[in-house]
Amino acid sequence: MAAFENEMLALLPRLRRLARALARDAADADDLCQITVEKALLARGSWQPGTRLDSWMYRIMRNAWIDTARARGRASETFVDAEAGVGIGSDGGGEARVALGEVEAAMRRLPDEQREAVALVLVEGLAYKEAAEVLDIPMGTLTSRLVRGRQALMLDLGEAA
Amino acid sequence: MTIEPEMLMAYADGELDPLNAKRVERAIAGDPALVQEVERHRALRKRIADNFAPVADEQVPDRLAALLKSSVVDLPLPRTRPIVTRWREATALAACLVLGLVIGIGLPHGPVSGGAGGLYASGSLARALDDQVGGADGTVKVAVSFRDKQGSYCRVFSARVTDGIACRDASGWVLRRTQQGSSTQHGDYAQAGSPDPDLMAAAQDMMAGEPLDAKAEEAARGAGWR
Repeated sequence: MAAFENEMLALLPRLRRLARALARDAADADDLCQITVEKALLARGSWQPGTRLDSWMYRIMRNAWIDTARARGRASETFVDAEAGVGIGSDGGGEARVALGEVEAAMRRLPDEQREAVALVLVEGLAYKEAAEVLDIPMGTLTSRLVRGRQALMLDLGEAA
Repeated sequence: MTIEPEMLMAYADGELDPLNAKRVERAIAGDPALVQEVERHRALRKRIADNFAPVADEQVPDRLAALLKSSVVDLPLPRTRPIVTRWREATALAACLVLGLVIGIGLPHGPVSGGAGGLYASGSLARALDDQVGGADGTVKVAVSFRDKQGSYCRVFSARVTDGIACRDASGWVLRRTQQGSSTQHGDYAQAGSPDPDLMAAAQDMMAGEPLDAKAEEAARGAGWR
């Protein structure tokens, strides 16, 4: 296997983690990973060797997520969220959507722009500067989205004062 | 002295430069509410991180790893491919540019020529599509042959300048789909001759039934692909 594929393979666990923080559920998250890998393979000519492959792939994933989320539409997403909440722990069927935990459910209630900021910084541990670069936004925009997202999560998860 | 929520958060995350960190420390020294806010930020950060951390320890599903592990794409492909998105069109456009360049430069024995029905394979590419056995190595490599839904014979090929799918009509091999050739990519990861998964998926979509096996391909070649 070539070096590029090897590096991408090593990144897959982290890409899956980011996808899980962004996507609606585990199945959608792995679909998102697949799209990301396919896009990255196609676009590999545009990756500059010597630059960070992880940031490059995070950016591809984020853009793919925005595309699929838009295509799906917000209305259906809200509906599924409500359904997923009811089904927690009630069904062990192999093909069943995995029920969401409290944190996942709270993440999904965030606006996309806050969710992606929270996912990159809190889940993936990126520095603010790195996250702002992945999202292609100024630092000030990143910190303002991040702080609003975190305040909403604190409220939602009962960690507010 | 007021501390912006963003700055307090950045302090909690260890993102501040020493000067600003000092400012925040001075401010929170006299304000237990701010201390609490910093702690809440850190607690939330840990909770979110801990919640998703196990995902990175899970075994990566085979279908994902397989995208990167296999240099050969088997047909038929699993039907787990996501919805076609705009980027594929962008790729096709880019490939058209490559082709346009080839035609524009007017290489004397270029692999492509214009015709009434669109772009046709010419020269060595046309000869390879006519004669070459699927899977055989050469400057052109044909990965798979199949019949499309209109009954025409089509072949997926990789060549120096362009990879693509060509289908046979009365005049020759029409290029139905092209993208930048695998051998034009740089670096040690280029795998000449292994068709792009995207191209194979396109073939899968065009295909009626199964790809031709060696015997069926031989028969089609013998009949001039008509």
